[in-house]
Amino acid sequence: MSAAGGQGRPFLRVFLAPEVTYSRSTGENDQVSRSQQRGLRRVRDLCRVLQLPSTFEDTAVAYYQQAYRHSGIRAARLQKKEVLVGCCVLITCRQHNWPLTMGTVCALLYADLDVFSGTYMQIVKLLGLDVPSLCLADLVKTYCSSFRLFQASPSVPAKYVEDKEKMLSRTLQLVELADETWLVTGRHPLPVITAATFLAWQSLQPSHRLTCSLARFCKLANVDLPYPASSRLQELLSVLLRMAERLAWLQVLKLDKRSVVKHIGDLLQHRHTLVRKAFRDGTAEMEAGEKELRGRCQGPEQGKEEVASSSLDLPEGKRPASPTPLLPPCMLKPPKRICPPPPVSTVTGDENISDSEIEQYLRTPQEIKDFEKAQAARQAARSVSNPP
Amino acid sequence: MVLQRQCNKTFLLMQGQRCCEYADDLAPPGSPLLSPIVPDDGYIPNTSNSETVFNSHLQEVKGASGHFSSVDLSFLPDELTQESKDQSVIRSKQDIEENCKTQSQQSRLSLPREQDMGLGLINDSTLSKSHSQAYPGDADSVQPSPEKPNSTPLMSITPMTPVTPVSECSGIVPQLQNIVSTVNLACKLDLKKIALHAKNAEYNPKRFAAVIMRIREPRTTALIFSSGKMVCTGAKSEEQSRLAARKYARVVQKLGFPARFLDFKIQNMVGSCDVRFPIRLEGLVLTHQQFSSYEPELFPGLIYRMVKPRIVLLIFVSGKVVLTGAKERSEIYEAFENIYPILKGFKKA
Repeated sequence: MSAAGGQGRPFLRVFLAPEVTYSRSTGENDQVSRSQQRGLRRVRDLCRVLQLPSTFEDTAVAYYQQAYRHSGIRAARLQKKEVLVGCCVLITCRQHNWPLTMGTVCALLYADLDVFSGTYMQIVKLLGLDVPSLCLADLVKTYCSSFRLFQASPSVPAKYVEDKEKMLSRTLQLVELADETWLVTGRHPLPVITAATFLAWQSLQPSHRLTCSLARFCKLANVDLPYPASSRLQELLSVLLRMAERLAWLQVLKLDKRSVVKHIGDLLQHRHTLVRKAFRDGTAEMEAGEKELRGRCQGPEQGKEEVASSSLDLPEGKRPASPTPLLPPCMLKPPKRICPPPPVSTVTGDENISDSEIEQYLRTPQEIKDFEKAQAARQAARSVSNPP
Repeated sequence: MVLQRQCNKTFLLMQGQRCCEYADDLAPPGSPLLSPIVPDDGYIPNTSNSETVFNSHLQEVKGASGHFSSVDLSFLPDELTQESKDQSVIRSKQDIEENCKTQSQQSRLSLPREQDMGLGLINDSTLSKSHSQAYPGDADSVQPSPEKPNSTPLMSITPMTPVTPVSECSGIVPQLQNIVSTVNLACKLDLKKIALHAKNAEYNPKRFAAVIMRIREPRTTALIFSSGKMVCTGAKSEEQSRLAARKYARVVQKLGFPARFLDFKIQNMVGSCDVRFPIRLEGLVLTHQQFSSYEPELFPGLIYRMVKPRIVLLIFVSGKVVLTGAKERSEIYEAFENIYPILKGFKKA
């Protein structure tokens, strides 16, 4: 193609100086292949299904076209090209702070998250894009609004109906609390929001709603229950319980994970102070603890405890168990297995290799015969069971 | 102040090309000890002094190389001197890390201590003095420093060069977890025969076109291809990887193939360590967007692609860090020393 058109019009080069001459272009960019056309159509369709603003459509289409200029994408399998549609739409949404999750895109495309993940990382690197993080606050708003709890229906009894604004604002506060207490970093964002929505809903009318479980709640709200949500719920309740221990009028009540729900309103109102009081700053304590440790050789937990009690200056003589450090749950759990420090190796790489050491890995002639016999027998058994 | 230092570091990290050229002025080409991109409060005096250590080690090794007549050289000759150079370099790096450890311990215990190895007689008093002097123009101060040490191999008690502030050295040494190396046995191999004659071999041609062989000491796995190329994985150090590769080559030799040991090369090194404080990954991805990728929907860790050295770090909320992509141990150490101050900045977010 290029050979034929090549030597054609040199004088045009002067006028089209910044452009690549036709002979040097592969010509592929001048034609849009059918698969690319299909992909671009799919991008537009996906934007319309998601009811995105029209400007998003053009941006997503542009990204798809940009991606198609790379040979690796042009030569990719159809599955990857289909997933690429979702990637372009997702990137566009992220850049406009439109809260679209990868889970939603994969569900709409009937795509595997692993395939999506690989293509997404590849295309971000290939196009050199800066993709902002998922905006949690916006995600809370859209996700919460999808819960079918704001109107009575055959599946939703009257006592379960809730005011949307109240639920949104409380859920947002609970998600912020979770973020502050290390429950969000490194985790899937959606299950945290599910747990927070459930707690917000329960706490707005606890007398009627304490009996409803998380699973039932999601079912009647017509929302899928993500697997980690139960675990996030337990973590959030633990945080709230710790905070309740610092609230004067709640200390006497000896709350548990069920009864604390009734007081979530109060706890959220004073959450900033309570978090500061309930959790000693894990990192500050660690630094202070280390300085103490260097003088004496004590276990790290002990050192921290001692420093904590001296520096925390607690007014109340009767305080409950010493405050837990504010750390991500993965740092609070005991280590699964204690990794012994590796022994210092004195290997130089030039050591003598004895014959006996090598021979331990070789089969004796008798062993070889036995092995061959066993293999033949296995082959025979296979051919009997699978007659040609 | 901290922010300025961090900005400088980011600047230095991004100016990969420039710093490479600059480094060529400092160090003889091919000397892996001098990290071309030195954080402004990084290893300046150490590296310059360890150059002399490196040189003296090299002398020793060259002298000793004549004693190899009794060793089985059937597959070593091609790169003997290169190997010994690498080893002396590795040894020197270990010295650096030890000194870093002792230095940081020193600061904690507040005891002035002379250090061996001719790496400079650094006292705390001089440290604090030069610390205050060293920082007005971070990027500039890097330039004049290396010229001094070349003339005086042993530093005087009052160093003129900006001394590594001991508190900045992290005191944490990443542990190597895996080394991947390749070697060319330079002969065609009959994989079926190898799988038949070797007890520790696995061969499923329908699944993978190579023999998977394992040895117990050093505990490693090798992929042996019919072309004679071999990949050795699982070793915890460069020397162990080489010893393991030699053992696999010996097994293949004993099976009757004229195996040699050509072009042994470390292809990848993986290290890990723990900074022992939680990290706000969301904050880190905001400030270091050009290098970071944090997608909690896909992976719980932050993927940090450092430019200089070219290392990929996986940073987790628990403070555990995995470093990979290194061809040399020093790259892992350097990458960690580069990231540690950045991570410390997110300790109390």
